[in-house]
Amino acid sequence: MKRSAHFVGLLLGIATLVIATVSVGAGSAFAQEKAAAQPKIHASAVQVAMVQSDEIKLPIQFQLALYEYLIQEITKTGKFQHVYRDGDKDAASASDLVTLHSNVFGFKQGSEGKRQVTTVSGETQIKVHVTFTDKAGKTVLSQDTTGKVRFLGGNLRATFDYAKKVAQICVNNFS
Amino acid sequence: MSMPRASWFLSAAALVLIGAGSLAAPASTQEGNPMSFAHTKQVLGLEGLKHNVMGTLAAENGSVIFTQGKQKVTVPAANITEVMTGKDTERTIGGTVGTLSMFAPYGGGRFLSLFRTKVDTLALTYTDSNGGTHGAIFIMTQGNALGAKKALLQQGAKTSVPPEEEADTQAKPKEKK
Repeated sequence: MKRSAHFVGLLLGIATLVIATVSVGAGSAFAQEKAAAQPKIHASAVQVAMVQSDEIKLPIQFQLALYEYLIQEITKTGKFQHVYRDGDKDAASASDLVTLHSNVFGFKQGSEGKRQVTTVSGETQIKVHVTFTDKAGKTVLSQDTTGKVRFLGGNLRATFDYAKKVAQICVNNFS
Repeated sequence: MSMPRASWFLSAAALVLIGAGSLAAPASTQEGNPMSFAHTKQVLGLEGLKHNVMGTLAAENGSVIFTQGKQKVTVPAANITEVMTGKDTERTIGGTVGTLSMFAPYGGGRFLSLFRTKVDTLALTYTDSNGGTHGAIFIMTQGNALGAKKALLQQGAKTSVPPEEEADTQAKPKEKK
C-alpha cells in the first residue's frame, strides 16, 4: 500500500515537471512567433546618443559605461553597417540612419560585497527608456529595459546587462 | 611604570604611528614625475585596449598617455571635455581567483568578499578626430584621482566641476536616507 502511494507521488511529480516544461517551451515559441510576425525596421546605420538621466542623478561612470557597452554590443550584433558615436560628423551622410536615445529613469546602486555575502540582497538595477528615432526625429521604436546584476560582478556589470538587452532588441527589430 | 619600560613603550608607539602615516599617504605617483600615476586600472573606454588592464596613466606634453606594457594610448588633453572623480571599493582578492573562491567550502569565498579596498575612480569623456564622443573609466589608488584630475586640467583638459569643489563635496559626510 505504502509502496503504491510512493509510486503515485512520483508519477504526479514527473507529470507536473513535463507540463511545466511544455508550457515554458510554448511560451517562448509564442514570443518568437510574435517577434517574427512584426515587420522589421530597415536601417543600415545607427548612431548611439550619449546616455541621459533627466529624472535621476546617475554617477558618471555608469553613464559612460552604459554608452560604451551599447556601442560594443550593438557593433557585435552585425545588424548595422555602421555604428556611429554621439557627435560623429560622418553620421550625417549615412542613409537609413536611426539614432538610439537612452534615458535612465531608475537607478538603484547595490553593493558587490552584500551580493557576494548574502546572495539575495545588494542588487544593482538600472531602468532605461530606449527610443530609436529616424533622421526626421520620428520615433520608430520605443521600449523600457532594465539592466541588473544580481550575484557575480561589480556594479558596472548592470550596464553591460542593459547593453546586451538593447543589442537583442536590435536583432529582433531591425533588418 | 619604570623608566626604561616607559621609554620602550613610547618608542614602539612612535614606530606604529610612523608606519600608519606612510600607509595613509597616497603612494602611487612615480618618482620624479608627479604627473604619472602607476597601478591605474583602465576599466573601459580607451581605443585598442582590453577592459580592466593595469598600467600607468600620465599627463605630459599636452596629452594623456596610458601605458600598459608595450601598448601606449594617447589622447590629446584638448580633446577631453569632462573629467570627474569619485570613490568606490573593490574586492581585495578579485579577478579569476576571487570568482573561483566563491566555490570554496564553508563560505570561505563569502568571507573573502568582506575584505574590500577603497579606491578612487576617474571618469573622462573625450572626442576623436571625427567628433565622436568616447568615455573612459579608470580606477586608481585611493587619494590619487583628484591629483590626476588637476594634472589633466593643467595639460588643457576641460571640466564642469573644478577640483576644489569636487574635493569639498567628497569631504562632506554622506547624508543619511
